[in-house]
Amino acid sequence: MRKSFLIAGVALIAMAGSAAGWVATRAVPDAPPAASFAVLDAEKNEVGRYVVPADKDIFAQPNADEIIYGKRLLADTARLLPDNVGAAMNCNSCHLLDGKIDAANGYINTVNFYPRVMPRAGKEVDLETRINGCFQRSMNGRPLDREGREMKAMIAYMEWLRQGVAKEHRVDIVNAGPVDESLIPDPDNGKAIYAQKCAACHGVNGEGMRDQFGDIIFPPLWGDESFNIGAGLARTYKAAQFVKWAMPPAMHLDGQLGQGGVLTDQEAVDVSEYFTHMPRPDFAPKVNDWPNGNKPKDARY
Amino acid sequence: MRVLKLALLAGLSALAIGWGVAASTPYWFAPKQDRKVDIADPELIARGEYLARAGDCVACHTAPGGAPYAGGLGLQTPLGTIYATNITPDPETGIGSYDYGDFERAVRKGLRPDGVHLYPAMPFASYKVVSDADTEAMYAYFMSAVKPVAKQNQPTTIPWPASLRWPLAWWQLLFAQPRDFEAPQSDDPLVARGAYLVEGLAHCGACHTPRGLAYEEKALKEDGSGRFLSGSVLEGWYAKNLRNEDTGLVTWTEEELVTFLRTGRNKRTAAFGSMSDVVEHSLQYLGDDDLTAIARYLKSLPPRPGREQWRPKEDVTTAALRGGDFSAPGAMTYIEHCTACHRLDGKGAPEVYPALAGNSMVFADDPSSLIQVTLAGGRMPSTPGHSMAFTMPGFAHLSNADLAELMTFIRNGWGNHASAVTEADIARMRKEIAHKPVHYAPEAAQ
Repeated sequence: MRKSFLIAGVALIAMAGSAAGWVATRAVPDAPPAASFAVLDAEKNEVGRYVVPADKDIFAQPNADEIIYGKRLLADTARLLPDNVGAAMNCNSCHLLDGKIDAANGYINTVNFYPRVMPRAGKEVDLETRINGCFQRSMNGRPLDREGREMKAMIAYMEWLRQGVAKEHRVDIVNAGPVDESLIPDPDNGKAIYAQKCAACHGVNGEGMRDQFGDIIFPPLWGDESFNIGAGLARTYKAAQFVKWAMPPAMHLDGQLGQGGVLTDQEAVDVSEYFTHMPRPDFAPKVNDWPNGNKPKDARY
Repeated sequence: MRVLKLALLAGLSALAIGWGVAASTPYWFAPKQDRKVDIADPELIARGEYLARAGDCVACHTAPGGAPYAGGLGLQTPLGTIYATNITPDPETGIGSYDYGDFERAVRKGLRPDGVHLYPAMPFASYKVVSDADTEAMYAYFMSAVKPVAKQNQPTTIPWPASLRWPLAWWQLLFAQPRDFEAPQSDDPLVARGAYLVEGLAHCGACHTPRGLAYEEKALKEDGSGRFLSGSVLEGWYAKNLRNEDTGLVTWTEEELVTFLRTGRNKRTAAFGSMSDVVEHSLQYLGDDDLTAIARYLKSLPPRPGREQWRPKEDVTTAALRGGDFSAPGAMTYIEHCTACHRLDGKGAPEVYPALAGNSMVFADDPSSLIQVTLAGGRMPSTPGHSMAFTMPGFAHLSNADLAELMTFIRNGWGNHASAVTEADIARMRKEIAHKPVHYAPEAAQ
């Protein structure tokens, strides 16, 4: 009798032990390892990996407040900088998801890219000048003080996003994907595509959509409150690259914004020809652009 | 020893009687009707098509990418996966050899012509209230207008002995007694029509009414207990409370509800998961009068008795986020991954991105739907009224810890308040998503 109790006891303990072991070894499902991009040197050799940092890591930075302020300015530019923004546009209207994704005008390589000789300016342009170019063209407004708190904060955010990638290296992402520039645009087809695939957010008359406070949800694509004629996005093929690879968002079950990949090259060129050529503000200093020639074929002036 | 023998004998006798009763139900509990239907009557066929839409037969009886009504969609149960059957009029593999009596018995009584009892995944307990005239019309439609597809049914993955079908007869005796439709007391004929559709063909309760231990819906109609359509979880989706109360539909107007049923979206929210399919396959085809009837009936369902009503708290989130205070736990993750669409004020963009503020799916007692849609993403139904069907991408690449904190933030932001979501909740849903059934659609591969 006592022996059978003993055997039963041992068996029970063994069963409990193996059950506990089974529970302990069973992996708790969690996120897959973080996706990363290659870091390339000038000869395009991979010299490391870049992982897009989580925003909550900003709290650990010594200049966290400055970075967060910069991040907010990029996202809510029109609301926070009304004296400098003339259009109903924010930086992040084009630089999607805080400049953190591929083929949507990311900020990841921005600090390392400048200063650089740019064909439109015909001379070396530094980052402050480039940012002010956006304010004057895409946001149809006035430049920021180059030494001001706002400019420094925006650059602090981009500097944090660089994650210490060396100046001579770059993360293997692109500003925009390719589009066949030999295609001839058909603006009538573009108008139909706009009504079908763009108007739900950007409005039947290109007026965009605003929230309860009057802030921009979806920016206007033409009219007085849109980007002016001097913006890169006013050019058909440049716009088409953005439209094809970054628009519309919320189309797929994967990708951070589920963005892009809806239109063919031809459709992207057609719809871009249509909306870029709708009425929009002029840009007086356009006379200074491309002083050395080589003007792209889709330049507006 | 004698006691043991007696017990064994008693057990075997009980089993034999149990089996005998079950095997005989086709003769006394679910007898076959003898009735002729003119399946060539075009008016009847057209009405049958509309009613089959209302019944959303296509949603379960069609595999993704498969031929309509040819079956193969897997339904998860705790014991295994059940595959919906081929209900095209193919005589060999479908229902082509059914006469009206066979069809009626399958739809309203849960019985196959060979006497095998159907799983209650088929909502025959709801279809019991469908009228004779409507059942006849659907028979005409299926026999005359659905394209026959030769496709064998896929066996369930439920293991023996749970796979035995005769015990289902006892389920039917207990939970699917014959009953006729009883219109609710109301002067408004639309409320009665709505009740008929909701309880019957539309079988809203199949997802939205909580189920008991035996998988039975705790109420098949409004019975004063408040259980009918009070919200339930199926396949990891929480089908929300549809009663006219706090976490239900009290803040929705009848018009908003009709718009939602027709298009899968309105100014406050959007359908996703199974509801997106329901709108796409069924509700968008219903007439305005029937959609209004459904909405009016749902708005007539009183709050559950004896329950404290949920009230929104003061919104401090909007001002904090607009002012740049992202210090609350989960706030920075929200700012990083969610604000681009759902916005600082949690209001989203009307008819494009659903609001999180005041959205009862978000602060529902059961956060399953919020967790699943955040992990796996979701897609609005595609309807003629809207040229664009938007998605939410999945965020399975975020860690359990980040997601738990984020969802707790959302469930308690902008005036919402609800229980916290834990890392274990997220891990559990990851497992559930990983083990979704493989939909069986061999004709799609051919």
